[in-house]
Amino acid sequence: MCTGCHTIPGYQASFPKVYHVPKIGGQSAKYIESALTAYKKGERNHPTMKVIAAGLSDKQIADIAAYYAARGSEPAVAANK
Amino acid sequence: MNKITVTTVALLAAAAGWSTTAAAADIEAGRKIGETQCAACHGKDGKTPIDPSYPKIAGQYPDYMVKVLGDYQTGARKNPIMGGIAKPLSKADLENVAAFFSSLPGPLTHKK
Repeated sequence: MCTGCHTIPGYQASFPKVYHVPKIGGQSAKYIESALTAYKKGERNHPTMKVIAAGLSDKQIADIAAYYAARGSEPAVAANK
Repeated sequence: MNKITVTTVALLAAAAGWSTTAAAADIEAGRKIGETQCAACHGKDGKTPIDPSYPKIAGQYPDYMVKVLGDYQTGARKNPIMGGIAKPLSKADLENVAAFFSSLPGPLTHKK
């Protein structure tokens, strides 16, 4: 679900503005969770992310967050503190 | 983390062109903003936020960070802390501070 955009180096979002899709591997789990929850509630507005997050349960969001938090290219310094 | 790892990550970042996107940006000017306005929450190194709900920003794409900061300025994205910090910054400030944090080594990756 996430790999098509977030795991391609240099991949760019084309709508509504052109910019690089953020790196999420190694991001803090809590932040990924809060971002997905904000999309789900409509507090964040990216069209693609809103649709994706709307279909996720809280459990799925937590699982995705834990998975990507563990993907970091360095030892997870503060990933789960 | 040891020094070799830091160097390796920095070299990989340079090789991958992560930090060259914002060639016109002034990293040193960005450092001043970063160290005075961002470091308290995101960590001086951009990868040790004081709260796990705050994102790591070291090594993130600069154009993504400029986009996010712009959204905080317009209110398209809402956060009481980030709104207050982003609003007074100029477009050049956003580009400089994004270039600075993007240039720092960090754990963020595309890895599946």
